[in-house]
Amino acid sequence: MKHGSLNMKQLTDPLSQKSVFKLASGACLITGLILSGLVTASPWHEKAISQHIHRSEFSGQLGASEFEALRSSGEHLFSAQFTVHDGVGRPMATQAIIPTKRKRPPRSEFARMAGLDANACSSCHNQPVSGGAGDFSVNVFVSEGFTQADFDSSDPQFSNERNTNHLFGAGLVELLAREMTADLHQQRHEALLEAHRTSSDVRKTLVSKGVEFGFLIATPDGLIDTHRLSGVDDDLIIKPFSQKGVITSLRQFTVNALNHHHGMQATERFGSRWTGTPDFDEDGMSGEITAGDVSALVAYQASLPVPASKPVEGEWLEASNRGSALFDELQCSSCHVRALPLESLHFSDPGPLDTAGTLRQSEAGADAIYDLELLASVRQLEKNSEGHWMVPLFGDLKRHVITDNRNNHFGNELLSQRFVERNEFMTSELWGIASTAPYGHRGDLTTMAEAIEAHGGDAKNSRDQFAALSDASKGDVIAFLKTLIISE
Amino acid sequence: MSMLSPDHLIARGSRSSKSLTVLVTGLVVSINAYATEESGLDIPLFEEVAMPAGIEHSYDGPWEHFVGGGVAAFDCNNDRFADVFVAGGSNHSAMYINASSTAGDIRFEKADSPITDLKNVIGAYPVNINNDEWMDLVVLRVGRNMLLTGEPDCRFANANQKLLFDGGVEWSTAFSATFSNDDIYPTLAFGNYVDRTAPGSPWGTCSDNLLFRPAVDDNNQVAYPEAIPLDPGHCALSMIFTDWNRSGTDSLRITNDRQYHRGGEEQLWRTSDRYPRLYSRADGWAPLVIWGMGIAEADLNADGYPEYALTSMGDTKLQSVDVAQAVEENRPAYEDIAWDKGATAHRPYTGTDLKPSTGWHAEFADLNNDSLPDLYISKGNVEQMPDFAQYDPDNLLLGTHDDKFEEQGLAAGIALPRRGRGASIVDLNRDGLLDLIVVNRGEPVSVFQHTGYKSDHGPRAGGNWLAVELQQKGGNRHAVGARITVKTGNRVQSKNISVGGGHASGTADFAHFGLGVAERANIRVQWPDEEWSASYRVFANQHVVIKRGDDQVRYWYPIR
Repeated sequence: MKHGSLNMKQLTDPLSQKSVFKLASGACLITGLILSGLVTASPWHEKAISQHIHRSEFSGQLGASEFEALRSSGEHLFSAQFTVHDGVGRPMATQAIIPTKRKRPPRSEFARMAGLDANACSSCHNQPVSGGAGDFSVNVFVSEGFTQADFDSSDPQFSNERNTNHLFGAGLVELLAREMTADLHQQRHEALLEAHRTSSDVRKTLVSKGVEFGFLIATPDGLIDTHRLSGVDDDLIIKPFSQKGVITSLRQFTVNALNHHHGMQATERFGSRWTGTPDFDEDGMSGEITAGDVSALVAYQASLPVPASKPVEGEWLEASNRGSALFDELQCSSCHVRALPLESLHFSDPGPLDTAGTLRQSEAGADAIYDLELLASVRQLEKNSEGHWMVPLFGDLKRHVITDNRNNHFGNELLSQRFVERNEFMTSELWGIASTAPYGHRGDLTTMAEAIEAHGGDAKNSRDQFAALSDASKGDVIAFLKTLIISE
Repeated sequence: MSMLSPDHLIARGSRSSKSLTVLVTGLVVSINAYATEESGLDIPLFEEVAMPAGIEHSYDGPWEHFVGGGVAAFDCNNDRFADVFVAGGSNHSAMYINASSTAGDIRFEKADSPITDLKNVIGAYPVNINNDEWMDLVVLRVGRNMLLTGEPDCRFANANQKLLFDGGVEWSTAFSATFSNDDIYPTLAFGNYVDRTAPGSPWGTCSDNLLFRPAVDDNNQVAYPEAIPLDPGHCALSMIFTDWNRSGTDSLRITNDRQYHRGGEEQLWRTSDRYPRLYSRADGWAPLVIWGMGIAEADLNADGYPEYALTSMGDTKLQSVDVAQAVEENRPAYEDIAWDKGATAHRPYTGTDLKPSTGWHAEFADLNNDSLPDLYISKGNVEQMPDFAQYDPDNLLLGTHDDKFEEQGLAAGIALPRRGRGASIVDLNRDGLLDLIVVNRGEPVSVFQHTGYKSDHGPRAGGNWLAVELQQKGGNRHAVGARITVKTGNRVQSKNISVGGGHASGTADFAHFGLGVAERANIRVQWPDEEWSASYRVFANQHVVIKRGDDQVRYWYPIR
């Protein structure tokens, strides 16, 4: 397949690509007219997905136009209000990430607790724009979904209530996590080699991109003791997504969410290969979401622009500067690390770390690989002295204990999630925070100041120092945080 | 530029393949309009690599070696890579040391080891007899059986004399071991075949089977001076100690060859009694007379009660216990579910030879890591029996999502025209994919390396997996008799650590579990003394070592 070419300068961030889109729209209109003659569905058909995406069209290194085609298809899917004709509904399947049968169909397909709870991805991810965060009103209820999922209340004994995260800069976040995982795995391997060579136990502190993850002990017989790891799972895979840091990739997140929120089941996990039936949820539809559809959604999310720094001046600038200094003085930046260095902008999908049930690199042909440098907001990132891109996420991709006896607001969950204790959460990335109120993992804090003062556990000292500041100094910190925006 | 707006997209639901290329204003738009369809079960692809792997060996010999042909897979040098001992019949047996690199080609180096270089070997089973850190080996022979105790670097010592073990003169064809009543040392059971010296031999002249209980002296040294006969013997070809009714006490199940016994049947012995007793009609044990060749045990439905596959000439039996009778009345009443499950495997599934099959080794394992148990059966004509299939390929019965089995031996690449006997299913290169070693009569040993799963794009990755090793201090350090349960979502898998069964072949290695699409699992262990462990949280695609009493697993990573 040969594509028209767009050079890098022509391709700006998706949300500011109107000129490019206008150029293309005429072509698409004509194309659509031609293709419409082949379509059996009527123009008024009630389907959101008229044609599935085929992965083989988007494999190998993608050029700018191919990337844009995949991304724009993903954008459509992200905002598409799926219908029963697309496959919405899972009358005989729960929201669980492992295909799990319900014992009986629910009385009502849509339900705020166990889902279905949204019509489109953008129904919740929409603040300030599509791909963003969500209001308290679109909180989701997270449970494993292995037992009967017909919750009749929002009592936290059944599920954890979570606010919707934004996805801007998510491609860079996943790339950071992959590189950090590779670092940790290499360090584990080195420890094992040394233990074998020296015939003695080796204690190895794990550090990647300046973030420390505790230590492990390697023994000469090849065993690893993980008791003293910190903020990362025993498999040493950085799972950068969700507020608990339990999801490895945008692809895994996408497959999970499509089933949970819409009852749209991706073939790569719910197809006959893993379930013995092409219609696991028994809604009368098969092939609801193809691997190509997931790839398109991943491309869209991975290419959402990097959150920006709001240009301010005058009094706000002065306050912001003071607040920025305080941010460091209070050691907020020890976890909300201002920027992490990224060596490569090549995003491969599927990625290297997913497990069965999320498409992997050795399945179904070659990866789609695209260079996030195609995005203008990425090209504007600073580089460090080693030539690495500095990703200003204000996070460390590490989990921390965030509650203590005195500061227990964030300890409101009763269920651990995927082996992560109730009071541990991944450091929230603060980029874009000014555009994504409300705050806290439940979205039950209306201001950033409240959110800061709700910190406990590992953040207790910083929280206490913040609480002891004058109102003016607290305001300076907020003035700084208010510059961290998502461009609209 | 290919940019498809929503309304331009074409509805597509068929599998038909068509492609449309439209040139519009200088831009090429291509729409490939075929949809992929998942292929259903993952079919493992095996490549026979014995020669390049360095195993050049064959089991052969006269009538005494029409049966047997076993392999023992176990780690003899504590590097956690499985080494193999292969019987040779009238040829010499041999020990092969695993030199494979992780996830690389399978490689073995033949050990220069006179003590394991034996003739008249039928098969072998690994079991830790003396409770030291090295695995030991029980060698079944035509004539004197041998207890070989392990030493560093895969060296062995003949411990018959030290252990006061009389290897006997019988034709031994079956073995199993258990740790009774929290014994530190194992109880050993030997199954014997035809007594060739008895008048009228070979018909109706089966030797007694023998039970050896450990005798421990004041210095805590073990010996096996006394053989307790399990009389009558009915020409055993496989036996396994099994806790069939979850009573906490093993019984000894024996499968017997109707070719030579007269009036015999399948047997279940109470061996915990001072004087072993057979379960009888009055106990609920129904007569079953087959050409019993091999036994495999698995808890297929995770109800806590094992099912058994019994190979034979003709159809394979698959037995499930009546739980109510087992629990309430201690009655071993079994129903044959092989037909319902599609697991009879009674004739070749490919080729033109439609005569009945001859089944030997049976083993349950999840060979495609989809979390559903599969059943492997080695097949092969005894020698030249005209009423049975000559081309009789081994079976790979893949478990299906509707709790049945589906034959995929041909597609998997194991349907070789060889006369299979003993076998072992074991991950030889630690890539999480179970490999297969098959001993063939009169033909080379087959080493099938698992290379991935069949797809239109060549081998692809399969389901997630977990490999579990148990350790406990004191006696029974490898926790024989323990039960490992692995929970993923609502699915529970259960596996017993046992010694015995199959056909003259035993494996002591990580317990392997396929996890399908589960990325995590919870493990609980019921140790041999019935005590339950804590629940361990583990991540998929890992080798884990559970040391009794630890609050966390340890992960093992090969570094070669």
